Formats: sequence, C-alpha cells, structure tokens
Amino acid sequence: MSTTHATSETFDRNARAALADPVLHGALRNLADSFVVRRQNAIASAGDWEGLRDRARAIKDETLLHLDQYLERFTENAKKAGATIHWARDGKEACDIVLELVRAKNANMVVKAKSMAGEEIHLNEALEAGGIEPVETDLGEWIIQLAGETPSHIVVPAIHKTKQQIADLFVEKVGIEQTDNVDVLTQTARKILRQRFAEAQVGVSGVNFGVAETGTILILENEGNIRLTTSLTKTHIAIMGIEKVIPNFADLDVFLKLLPRSGTGQRLTAYQSLITGVKKNADDIGPDELHIVMLDNGRSRMLAHPLTRQSLACIRCGACLNACPVYQQIGGHAYGSVYPGPIGAVITPQLFGLSKSKQLPYASSLCGACREVCPVKIDIPALLLHLRSEIAEGSTAAAEATTRKPGESFAFRMYSRMWSTSGTYSLSMRAARLMQRVIARDGKIGKVGGLISRLVPPLGAWTAWRDAPVVAPKSFREMWREKKK
Amino acid sequence: MMQSSSHSDARSAIFASIRENLAKSAPFDEARHEPSPVSSAIVAPPATDLLEGFKESLELVGAKCTFVGDESEAAARLRAIVSDISATEIIVSDSELVHRIVNAAKLDAIEDASRDELFSSDVGITSAQFAIAETGTLVLESGAERHRLVSLVPPVHVCVLNASSIRQSMAEILELVDPDANPTITFVTGASRTSDIELTLAIGVHGPGELYVIVIKDR
Repeated sequence: MSTTHATSETFDRNARAALADPVLHGALRNLADSFVVRRQNAIASAGDWEGLRDRARAIKDETLLHLDQYLERFTENAKKAGATIHWARDGKEACDIVLELVRAKNANMVVKAKSMAGEEIHLNEALEAGGIEPVETDLGEWIIQLAGETPSHIVVPAIHKTKQQIADLFVEKVGIEQTDNVDVLTQTARKILRQRFAEAQVGVSGVNFGVAETGTILILENEGNIRLTTSLTKTHIAIMGIEKVIPNFADLDVFLKLLPRSGTGQRLTAYQSLITGVKKNADDIGPDELHIVMLDNGRSRMLAHPLTRQSLACIRCGACLNACPVYQQIGGHAYGSVYPGPIGAVITPQLFGLSKSKQLPYASSLCGACREVCPVKIDIPALLLHLRSEIAEGSTAAAEATTRKPGESFAFRMYSRMWSTSGTYSLSMRAARLMQRVIARDGKIGKVGGLISRLVPPLGAWTAWRDAPVVAPKSFREMWREKKK
Repeated sequence: MMQSSSHSDARSAIFASIRENLAKSAPFDEARHEPSPVSSAIVAPPATDLLEGFKESLELVGAKCTFVGDESEAAARLRAIVSDISATEIIVSDSELVHRIVNAAKLDAIEDASRDELFSSDVGITSAQFAIAETGTLVLESGAERHRLVSLVPPVHVCVLNASSIRQSMAEILELVDPDANPTITFVTGASRTSDIELTLAIGVHGPGELYVIVIKDR
C-alpha cells in the first residue's frame, strides 16, 4: 500500500492537523450525538449497571491473576472439541502461522471478519506480501480497505469518513452511480462481498471471549459477515489475544450485558456466534478445521503489576473513545496506532514501546470520562499518570526538559515566598486584579500576545492554547469581612 | 506439522513470561484488597408476561412477531408472509416442525440447498431451540438443527417456534444450551444491521434484512 499513515511518534503534529480538518469534525460530530446518547438509554435497561461492572472486573481480575491456568484449561478444552491451537509470541509469528495455514489450503484469498488483533499484527500487509488477497467483509473495514486507510475507531472503523466521501470512493473503486443513499451503499457492499464469500475457502476472524470451561470462542457482530466467514468456509482461523479468556460459560451473561450496551448502545448485537471446536459429522454445515492463534505480542508483560495488568481487562467496546473530549476533537488516526483514544493511549505504549509513543499519555485532560464509562472499570487516568511518570523518570531527554531555567527557578522562589504568608498573598491578588483589567475579556484571560506576553512569558505560553481564569473581584476573606459588618 | 518445534517454543516462552510477570506482581497483589465477593444476583428488568415481553423486544429491533394457536394457524401465517414478500424460492432447515408447517402451507421448499440455490433463495425458514424474552433473541443450536446457512444467507428469515421454548433471560439460556453437543450456537436478535456509514442504521447488510417470528402458543 502506498499511503503513509500517521504514527504515534508524531502525535502532536497529527492532532494539530486533525483539529484543522473541518470534514473530520463533521464526521465525528455523529459520535457524541448518537453513540453517547444510545449508550445512556441502553444502560438504563440493564438493571444493576454498577453491579455488572464490578462483577465483570472481578471475573477479569481473577482470570488475569491465574492466566496460565485458565489458558491451559481453555486450550485443552478447545483441542478436545476439535480445534487446533497455535501460539504466537509476537505479531510476526502470528502472521507466519496464518500465512502457512492459508498456503497449506492452496488458497489465494481469505475473507476476513473485523479483528482488532488482526489489525494489531498488520495481518493484511503480511498476507499481501505472501501473495494472498485479504478481503475485509465488515462494511466499515471494507470501506477502509478500499480507501487504503487504517481504522480510526475500534467499533466503527470508518467513523472519520462522511457519507459523501464513501459514496465518492464507491464511484471511483467499484463503479456505482453517485448516490447519497446509505442503503444503496450498503447493498453495493452486500452484492460485491457475496461473490467473494461464495468463492472463499478460508476465513479469518478475531475472538471476543474464550471460555476456559468449554473451549468455546464467542464472536459478536451486527452485520452477519462473521457468521458467513465462519459458516461458508472450509477453514476458520481465529486470532485471539491471550487476555480474552474467561473462566466459565455462565460468565458470558455479564459480558453480553456490558459489551453491546457500552459499544453501540444496543441491548444485544444482532448476532453472537459461540463456536466450540469443529463439526461432528463430515456433511454438517461449517468449517472442517478451526485454528485458534493465541497471541501474546506484549500482553504478558502487562501482568507484572496490578496497575498495568488492568489494561488487559479491556473488552474493546470503544466507549472510552466516544466519551473522550480529546478523541471527539481529533478522531482516531492522530493517535497513530490501531488502538486510539484513551485506552489506546494506555495500551499502545505498553504493547509497542513507550519510546515510540511518548506523546500519547499526554493526549488527555485527565477528566476521567473514560474511567466513568469503562464497563470493566479500568482506571485509565491512573494508567496515564503512571506512564507519564515512567516517561519523566526513564528518559534523559525528558529529564533535561524538566530541569528549570535560572529565571524560572527565581520565579518559583518568589512565588513560594509571596504565597506562603497571608499578607503578601492578598497583596499579590490585589495587584493581579489591577493588572488583569488590561487583558481580561468576558471574564477570562484569552490568548495573550504582544508586549504583555514578552514581559510575562509564562502567561503568554499558558494562554497560547487555553484560557486562564480571572481573579475574582473580591476574595472570600473580603466578602466575609463585609458580611460580618 | 513443520511448525511443531517452534510451536512448543512459543508456547513455553509465553507461559514462562506469564508466570514470571505474575511473580513480579505478587508482592503488590498481596497488599491489595481482595475484590469483595460478587453477588450473582443480577437485577433483571421486571418480568412482564413472558410472551408479551418477547414480542415487545422483537419489535424494538424491528422484527415482526405473531402468536398463533396451532400449527395450521402457523401454516396460514407462513403462507401470508411468503405471499407478502413475493418469495418463490424457499429453503428450509431439517426441523420437523418446519417441515410439517411448510407442508400444511402447501409450499414448495428445498432442504439441503446447493450453494447456487442458497444464494438465489428468497426466504429461509427455521425453528429455534430456545428464545430469550428480555432481548427478543432466537437461540439456534447447530447440533439440533441444520440452520446455519438457512437462517443467514436469504434476504428474509422466518422462524417458527413453540412458546414453551421461550425463557426470560440470557442467564437461563446459558444454563440450557450445550456447547459440547453443538459446535456452533447462534444468538439472533433482529435483522442484520450496520451503522458503519455516519452511524446511520442500515438493515440487511450481510444477513437477512427482515426477520419474522411465528410463536405457536399451544401444542
């Protein structure tokens, strides 16, 4: 593919470009309006939402704390049911396994269901390099594939594109007449992809949950392309992150209540496929072979501390993206990772290395909206702070940047002296009140430039990207004194 | 297989890494409070009448649900649906209930459709092993019924089931279904849908665009 994609190393630049893109803002406006409201309505139908979240988190904590045991149980039971288990330490190993399996079937194309793990390991590029055509079948993923782009959201991959852009893309790539009708666009995809399904021998999917007790994999969807991928083909290859295992079949209840409500604001998505091994009789419907590729790719490292381990509880619902004021403004591509948004800012550095994504932990105002909506109560702000401190401690460049210049040290000494006694503190406030008359507009201090910013550089730097609050006309102490008179 | 040695290498390396990292975490885990035992009671929305609740849930997701008194009424309803959608090519699962109703409705239907018949069919008729009232979900077990393609490929899916197979909640269903005996268990809630273009709902993207459910109340 010739298109170059934004990387996490250039987050600041990516974000600024995104902020200046009015078409992107138009596309992202739907997110807050639709998904956020739909989610709120859906969680009202769930009964004890807080109880469900606690229960889900407790199940995940228990599993992760004994991950080796649950993985052994899961893979043993899946094997008993007829699945073949593969292990991949990293993305390359996983891609090699898939490539070898596809080649063994003499297939020159595979149909693919949306899989974040597949995106993470760049499976499409590996397949193409190996001479095998990957055909994305999820509508959003197919759009992205036609455009030569990467997904910008973990649930709705083409959220950054407007209907008009998608229509133009279809006109150019598949030769339809210009249209503004979403149903026409959708039916175009159905018709074209039906032909690909009819000829496909191998299907590749992800996994939402793997049940240790039964060896079952569960995959959720709305479109039906995952059912087609896993029913029409002879060979089904499922890529599963090692953190996707849960202990018991009955645990699915909790996650089936949380994931659709958090992800798309549905009580339940249209389809769930619970696949346990392969068919029992040769003439039954469905694949002859099920291969489950167990992927580590940096996950096991996150087990080393309870704080980082919670990142592995993520069920990839995307609610934190939808709720995030930063994501809402810049979209997913600016993060330069398959995992964008708050959870992406946390797991990208952990999976792919902090040195390549130093700016991501700062891509947050720490407002806590992500933590509030997370169905498994991941403390994303705490993880962001943890990563920030790792950056500050670990890198000499960062250490140099935080060493104060002499002038700055003098300013901080004065600041601490002035504000440590009440007399000088109130004097400074009165002085500030006088001086701000020159620069305050509509009750706030906006962008400060020119002479003032040269005289008071910190004020200029602070207000370059944000407003500063003004000092109140009267202090609390002054009001208290007047009241007592 | 060629990869067997590297396979066992990868497996043992991953398990070693998991155990090593969990060991690093152990001192912090002990200091941490154990999560309080979780209550298994999940407060479900108040159970209205099971059948009415099922119907309401189905209508919420755009499916059409009809109650009938017996199989001959089910046959009449099926004939009406087939005529409404002007279906000529009908495919069916191996469910005996479905066969009886299709015969009673005097419809020509194909069981075990070929790929070509499958892809050109107008409607697929199946039963379901269970259903869930609180979400309007059909539960189809691949070992009990050859439903997988009939319920998926045609543009319209008609499901005929007995009222006795309906339960209130997902939790009850997870107790009832048997993953060991059924390589695939499929939950179906409404028609195929997508919101991938500007979050605008579009129906029938890859699976059926219409779902009809006929519930036989008394049998």
